[in-house]
This record gives sequence, C-alpha cells and structure tokens, in this order.
Amino acid sequence: MTMPQTQKTLTVTIDGIRTQVPDGTLVIEAARRVGVMVPHFCYHPKLKPDANCRMCLVEIEKIPKLQTSCSTRVADGMVVRSSVPHVEAARKSVLELLLGNHPLDCPVCDQGGRCDLQDFSHEYTPTVSRFKELKRVFPKQYLGSVIETQMNRCVSCMRCVRYCDEVMDAKALAAVGRGTLTQITHWSGNELECDMCGGCIQICPVGAITSRLSMYDYRPWMLKRTETICSFCGDGCQITVQRKDDQLIEVNSALGAGRNNGDLCARGYFGYHAGAHPDRVQHPLIRQPDGSFAAVTWEDALEHVARKLLTLKSAYGSDAIAGLMTARCTNEDMYVFQKFMRLVVGTNQIDSSARYGYVNGVRALRRVQGTHRWTVRYEDVLQADGIMLIGTNVHETNPITALQVKQAVKRNGATLMTLESLLPVRSTVSNITTLSRHHLTVRNGRFDAAIVGLLKAVCELQLVNAEVAERAPEFVQTIQAKVAGVSWQTIHEQSGLLQRDVEAAARAYGQSRRAVTLVGQDVLRAVGGEAMVTNLLDVQILTGHLQREGSGLGCLAEENNEQGAIEMGVTAEYLPGPSPLDETGSTAAFAQAWGQALPTGASATLMHVLRRAKAGDVKALFIVGENPVASLPPDAAVTDALDALDFLVCQELFLTETAKRAHVVLPACSAMEKDGTFTNTEGHVQPVRQAVEPVGESRPDWEMFSALSVLMEHPIEYGDVKDVFKEIRRIIPGYGLLGPASTPQPVNADVVARYVDGGFKEDVDRRYTLNQPTPESQGGMTLKLLQSVYHSGKYSTRAKGLMEVQGEGLLQINASEATRLGVKEGDAVCLSNEHGRATVSVTLNDRVPDAVAWFPEHFDEPVRPLFSLTVDPQTHVPVWKTTHVTITNVNDRPAGEGEIHDVMSF
Amino acid sequence: MLRAKYQNVIDDLLSRYPVKQSALLPLLNLAQKEEGYVSQAAMKEIAGILDLTPPQVFETVTFYTMLSLKPIGKFHVQVCRSLMCALVGADNLLGWLQKHLGIGVGQTTQDKMFTLSAVECLGSCGTGPMFQINDDYYERLTEEKVGRILEDLRQTGDCAMKSGPFLL
Ligand code: SF4
Ligand code: SF4
Ligand code: SF4
Ligand code: FES
Ligand code: FES
Repeated sequence: MTMPQTQKTLTVTIDGIRTQVPDGTLVIEAARRVGVMVPHFCYHPKLKPDANCRMCLVEIEKIPKLQTSCSTRVADGMVVRSSVPHVEAARKSVLELLLGNHPLDCPVCDQGGRCDLQDFSHEYTPTVSRFKELKRVFPKQYLGSVIETQMNRCVSCMRCVRYCDEVMDAKALAAVGRGTLTQITHWSGNELECDMCGGCIQICPVGAITSRLSMYDYRPWMLKRTETICSFCGDGCQITVQRKDDQLIEVNSALGAGRNNGDLCARGYFGYHAGAHPDRVQHPLIRQPDGSFAAVTWEDALEHVARKLLTLKSAYGSDAIAGLMTARCTNEDMYVFQKFMRLVVGTNQIDSSARYGYVNGVRALRRVQGTHRWTVRYEDVLQADGIMLIGTNVHETNPITALQVKQAVKRNGATLMTLESLLPVRSTVSNITTLSRHHLTVRNGRFDAAIVGLLKAVCELQLVNAEVAERAPEFVQTIQAKVAGVSWQTIHEQSGLLQRDVEAAARAYGQSRRAVTLVGQDVLRAVGGEAMVTNLLDVQILTGHLQREGSGLGCLAEENNEQGAIEMGVTAEYLPGPSPLDETGSTAAFAQAWGQALPTGASATLMHVLRRAKAGDVKALFIVGENPVASLPPDAAVTDALDALDFLVCQELFLTETAKRAHVVLPACSAMEKDGTFTNTEGHVQPVRQAVEPVGESRPDWEMFSALSVLMEHPIEYGDVKDVFKEIRRIIPGYGLLGPASTPQPVNADVVARYVDGGFKEDVDRRYTLNQPTPESQGGMTLKLLQSVYHSGKYSTRAKGLMEVQGEGLLQINASEATRLGVKEGDAVCLSNEHGRATVSVTLNDRVPDAVAWFPEHFDEPVRPLFSLTVDPQTHVPVWKTTHVTITNVNDRPAGEGEIHDVMSF
Repeated sequence: MLRAKYQNVIDDLLSRYPVKQSALLPLLNLAQKEEGYVSQAAMKEIAGILDLTPPQVFETVTFYTMLSLKPIGKFHVQVCRSLMCALVGADNLLGWLQKHLGIGVGQTTQDKMFTLSAVECLGSCGTGPMFQINDDYYERLTEEKVGRILEDLRQTGDCAMKSGPFLL
C-alpha cells in the first residue's frame, strides 16, 4: 500500500466531487474514495506504481495530456475528470489494442465472470476493432505442477512479476521477450521453483495465470463462498473457501481481509484438499477381538468409551486417565476437552502439542513481562526500524509474518538482523536472510551461545539503557558480570559467530527506536528454550526496548492454534487463561466459575503421560488429533507406552500411526467442516466457519466430549458452539472480541519490576552458563529436520496440491558438500549413525551450511530411526530434530557388500 | 565459470556502479563473448554475483538482440529493420544476406560462420541500410558490398569496410 508520507491533507475534485485526501495519495485512490472507479490493469494497492497499461487515463485540469491516475499523486486543488468523452475514448483505444491480441476464449477461461478485461470491455464496448492482423499464439504452459499459464490472455500488466518481486521477494517470474511477444514464465524452460504462494494467480487481472487444481471445473458464479481461517500455521490467514455443491474448488483471499490482507502461502492457497483426502475416517470404529476395526454407530461408540472410562476410573482412580490434544483444534474444542478431563474424568493430566516448544516461550514471557502474548502486532513490525529474527526460518514456518518483515525492510527501510541457521543465499524461493543487514549464521544450533553473545555485546558496547541502569542496578550489574565471564572465544567456538558481527547486530538493535524481535522454532523447540527466551527478554530490558511503544518480542506459533492451546488450558501447567494450575487463587476461581472443585491430582506433560502409561499408572489415554507415534523418535518408545494401555481412544481425521493402535477411533471434523475460533500467533481471536459438510459421520470434537459427559452422567452441555465461546469469553481474558484485536497486550510493569528486582536471580547462573558443545562424531554431518514452506506437520501431506509441489523427502545439502561426497542431484546416499541407517535421495540447496544436511520433517519416516530424544529438564519439552550422521554415497559401498547380496538372492 | 577466469574484470565492472545489479549487461556481454552465447550456467552464475535470481537475468537476455541463448556463428550479422532503414531497403538487405548465406533470419550457417538476425534501430539511421557484425558497423550497404564483406570475413576474419567498433 502506498503510505501517505505526511499527514498534510489536500483538496481534490474528481468528477465534480470535492474531497480531502492525505498528501501522497494517488489520483486513482482518491477517485476510489469518492466512488469513482477508474478502470485499471497494472495498478494494485500492494504494488508500486508502474503505469504500463495506460488503462487508467484521466484528465487533469491544467495538464495538457491525459495522465495515468495510478502514478500521479494528488496535488492541492487538483481537478480531475474521469467520465468525459475523450477520456472514455482513450480507454476504448487501450482496450482495442489489448483485445487486438486477446483470444476469444472467455467460455473456457477460469477467470470468465470475474475478469477485469471482460468487465471493462463490457463497460466501454469497443465492439469493432480496426485490427485485422492475426493474433499472436502462445501454447499454454505449465509452470510447474500446480500453475498454468495461457499467455494469449496476458495483458502484460506485470502485476504477477511485480508481486512476486515486491511482495513475496521470490523474484521467480520473468517477463520474457519484448513487445507483443512478451510472455510471463519462469526461466529458460526450467520447472517453476518458488514459494508457490499463488499470489501471481490471484493478482492477475485476467485468466493468464491459473491454478491447475481446479482447471475447467467451474464457472466463478457457481461458487459458494465461506470466509474462514487457514488451519496450517500460527499466522491465521483469512481465506475464502469456494465450493461447487460439495466439491472444494478453490481458496483465495481478499485484499483488506484478515491479518494476511489478501496474501497467502502455498499451504493456504494449494493445501485446501487436506481434509478431503479419501482416507478420512468416516464412521466411529471399535477394535474387534481379532484386531480389526469395525464401523459402529455413534451411540455404540460413545457408550463404549463412556463405559470404559467410568470402569477404569472407578477401578484405578481418575489419574489413571490422561488426555493429549493437538493444537490444531478450535478454541471451543480445546476448552470443552479440558473441562471434560478435569470435571468429568477428574484429572489434570492434559497436554497438547504446544509442549513441542511453544510452551517454552510462554513460560519465559509470562515470567518476565507478565503476558505470554505478543506485545506488538504486524503493524508494529511494519513500522519498526529494527527487526531481529532468531532461529525462525520465518519465510517457511510463518510466511505471512515474513511478508510483514519483507515489507518493513523493502518499503520502510527497517534494519533486519537475522540469527539463523541458514545461509543468505538467494534463489527463486524467498529467503528472509537475503534482506538482512546483519546476518549471523548460527552453527550447531547453538542459539544459546549466540544470545549470550548479543548480551555480551550489549553490555560491552554500553548499549544498556541509562534509565534501566539506574532503576535496576543489581540486574544490570549481575548480567554484566555474567557475560564478562564468557569469552568471545567460547561464543565463537560454540556458535561459529565472530565478535565483530555480533557487535554490529547488537549495536543496530540497541540503537533502533522501535525494535521487534521474533523468535522461532530453533529456539523454542530446543533444550533450554525457556532460558533462551528469558535471555532475549534480558536483551529487551537492557536496551530499554521491553516497555517501549512499538517494540516487543513475539514467539512464532508453528501450529495454527498453539496460542489457543495455552489459553484454553490444555497444556499441563495451565488452566484456561492461562492461569497457573499450581496457584490456589486460580483453581479457586475456576472452581467457582464451573461450580465444582477442580481435581487435586498433579498435571502431567506429554512425556510424563507416556512414562506413566508405560509404567501402567495411566490405563486410558484420550488422544485428540495428536500423533505421538510419528511425532517422536523411536527411543521415546511411544508404541510401548500405547501398547501398555488398557484403553486408547483417538479422535482423528485419519487412521494415523497412533490411531491405528486405538481401541476406539472417533471420526472428527476438519476445520473446514465446523464452526469455532482460532487464536493466531499475534493473539487475534478469529472466527472459523463451516465451509463444507462434515465428511462421513464425522463430528466436531467438542460435541463428542459433550456427548460423552452426558453418558458419563456429568453433563457439560452447550446449545451450540457459540455457547461455548460465550463461556470462554466470560472466563478468559482477551476473548472479548472476535477478529483483529485493536491493541496488543501491554507489558505488565509490576511483573517486570519483580523480575529485575530479584526474580531474575533464580536461574541467572544457569541461563548464562554455556553448555559444552556436543561432540561431533568423526567426519559426521548434522542432520536436521526442518519445516518446509509447502507443508505443515503431517496433515498437509494429505493435500493433493501440496503433494504435487513437494511429494517426498529429499536430503538437502549444499553444492560443496555434494562435491565432497561425490554425489549429484538425485543420487541416493546412505545416512547412518549409532541408532540406525537410512537411504535417501539428495537435492542441492545452497542455503544449507557446510557439514549440515536438512530433511523435511513432514516426510521424516525413513530417517526418524536416526534420531534420539532429549527432554528439557525444566519444561519437559521433547527435543529430537537434530542428530549427527555419516553420509556415504551408496555407490561407494564397501566392496563385497553387493556380491553377498547377489549370492544370497540365488 | 566466469569468476574463475575473469575475477579481476568482474571486480572492475562491479566497482563502476553504485548498485551492483547495474553491472548486469556488462557481465552478460562478458558471458556472450566467452561462450558465444549466454548459457544457463552463466545466467545462474551472474545471478549469484549480482544478488539477482536467474529469471531476472533470463528476462534481460531475452530483451537484447545482441545476446543469444543458443550458440551462434562466429559472425553475428544483425540487420537493422527499423523505420529509417526499412525506408531505404532493409528488406532488400535481408534478402541479399539470405541469398548469399543460404539461411533465414534466426539461423546459423552450416559451417558455424554466420548467424543472421533482424534487430531494432542501431542508431545509425542516417546511413542505412546497415548492419552490425559482432562489434562493427557496416553502413550504406549495397548487394555488392554485402558480398565483399561476407567474403572478406570468411577469408580473413576481418573486413576493412567496417566503421566501428562503436559499441564496446
Ligand atoms: S512465489 Fe511463485 S506462486 Fe508466488 S507469485 Fe511468485 S511465481 Fe507466483
Ligand atoms: S500474466 Fe496476468 S498479471 Fe501477469 S502480466 Fe499477464 S495479465 Fe498481468
Ligand atoms: S499456512 Fe499460515 S501463512 Fe500459510 S495461508 Fe495458512 S495461515 Fe497463512
Ligand atoms: S493502471 Fe495506470 S497505467 Fe496501468
Ligand atoms: S533505423 Fe536502422 S539504424 Fe536506426
């Protein structure tokens, strides 16, 4: 969007209507404000003016020639005419020129019915053409597996190319050739490699770039639309789901709507079929004596579950039952689940996938600043002059948050500092670190050392805020003393960072006026994650940024409703709120709100639950949408724990590795099949709306808990999902309003005071002591499981569009490692370590550092045996996505191995 | 690999511009001279040097007729076909060339000596019809001159009738 530079207002008259606009407003935007729609192709509010299509010509008094309103800024007293005959004649000529080369394929064009060229042609009716020449003919082209181009339809407005460059920063599209023969393509016949955000499809004013997922399946006016929220990541984009009858046709997004303001990522745009996969569980299933599943009625299934739970409860007590839930569920599902577990079952043993790391950030934030929510919003990111990303891979994990950072840097000139474990190599898949002024490649995942380095630089370079030094001398002096005890040499040895680079980044950060820090999975999903976030908050306090307007720190939620999982009370240490479970005040408050005393038994985290199950202390497990068998490495022995259970219920969309072991599987609705709310990473509570009918007999999760509570003679009933939300709104702060919250959560000054006045001492020694580096195995490489921009967990691997884009796991290494190993793109390599071995194919990616190999976590099955689990001693976060391996070219197999195989096959 | 061979030249080119992306055309020119065309590998390498993406380099190559995406002959005959030259017989010139070389526009002779292209105005409008061969201009052309030029180039690799180079 073109930001008006100052607040000066100017007067302009458009078609006789006088209005006031801020200085810097474009004439076309001023016209829109007074309801004058100037036809245009190349203009788009997200893009810089290009004025290449000449469609938006208007007459401006005192300027002899017609002007392009998309590139002319309003001047005070300007008089503009848009609907006078010679302006319309000019537009007619532009259309005549465009149509001179446009095919007559509206009847088969997916854009037909919502095409700007159709609409303007209709309005300006250039029915006769003076052109008799043959039209240009381009063959249709597939730009990769999900995008099609029909360049005969292109009006050369360059919106797609500019969007891909200016907004996505992928720069994957090229305008090839010149004149009428210009066409949009990737490069030199190569298959399109890019972020696959679908933005070029959405922004094309005609049908020149379209999605292959729904080609020719529909006419736009047949589609029924539902506004809902994407369920793939914490950014919580607003999407418009479009269907024909009950067939999902496409997803798109509207400019101005939602936090994403019309932008999406590959998962949001191409991933909508995930819930429509044919493998969905259609009916309730009960395991038979012979081990198979039989489909049963809802009554039978629910009665069976209720009876089993009651029996086990009376035989072994409430704490023989525990629950696990995925952070993909709606707030309503989560809220009712924890209420069911606490009040009906009578246990506090509930945990969610926020345990995989998000909880680390939450605990640190609550402790230091009093609120776990972001104290900044996207708007603050856009206005920040300093942005620091730490271990985020944000362009892959939270692509829309990444867009805000891109805009802040590219449009508004913010200084970007990145501490990431990737190299700033540009390719046609965007890479946020290429925009960085201070990029620091953190080696060996040692973000703890990198963060201590930042603190050391802040102290040594006198970047400590004077007021803070005066207000909290002990805090400041303690930290100064701590960092003085860590040498730059140590920091370098552990993280690979050099003193001068860390200092440059710290200086830039300390000197920013509005500084936003975003923290990602490399920090949150690591052992010591809580301490690292706490230390980052120390950086904030020392530099005076913590309580400064427009500055703040946010933890990125990977799953769409991790924020909700914390706030709805499905994470071990928290009741709804989140209120700490171990605080008498909060348990009393909930007892009063719910009219029943809360269970007094201890809570249990995911790893506790599994351990207790294996030991036979937990007899029944209620798992909602979680898949611990596939989410943890073999040495977590999840299957042993599950097999030791008397009773396992899974509420699931699919028969996952975990659900396959269940005694009862209850079919749940996907997020597209139900109503509710999600809370995004920034803390906005957004409405989820049913877009399609539930598949088979599946039901929303909360309904099943409610039905079970009735059968267990302890009813928790709601008229409908809105009643659940009403209760949530009454009980949980921050749920008053649906949709974007008007202000971010403030820092709680009392909590900060408590922290700097002594609270910090509790663990300051531990936080500022760097662990010894983990010894690397001889000649080994670090193997790291990583999220891909095309996928989200395992759920997205059910989406046919995303599987077209990325359908298998390939080992990513850089070109020099490949040369060293003597392998090339597509070659098979063998990975091995003390835990096992795996054979995978190689692909080259130059943003992978030396001695490191990446593997997409969504396809981790073949490599999972190579990993082993470490559990964070403080927060019980299971950490396992990094390991050390030896990589060998399979062709370099020791001589003899192949022969033995041959002999044996005879 | 351009960098291996021309690191100094590249450094010098980059030092001439406040924004390194401005060195795109000189680098493409270098690549074209080196291999006789701009290969995919060269586009990738140049993109890497200038912090561009290959598609951005590719679109630039396709805009300029003096850059080629496939190998061309030793002599690149670029005939101006814009208005001024057209008025004084650019089409005849193309006809003579096609007759003498036995190839059409966009083609290369069997012996890999000549490639024929039709291009837009070369800024020599007062002296048309004209063409550019590699870096040299040949102006006020007649069929007889064309024959001699081609013959000279074929025999000696050079021709005294050139007026140039103007573009370097
Ligand atoms: S990243 Fe890919 S899908 Fe997105 S605008 Fe660019 S080319 Fe299109
Ligand atoms: S493909 Fe569409 S957006 Fe791109 S230049 Fe052509 S008409 Fe414009
Ligand atoms: S996955 Fe995240 S960024 Fe992508 S569309 Fe969905 S919510 Fe938006
Ligand atoms: S919209 Fe103004 S020139 Fe294209
Ligand atoms: S028209 Fe031929 S050189 Fe200008």
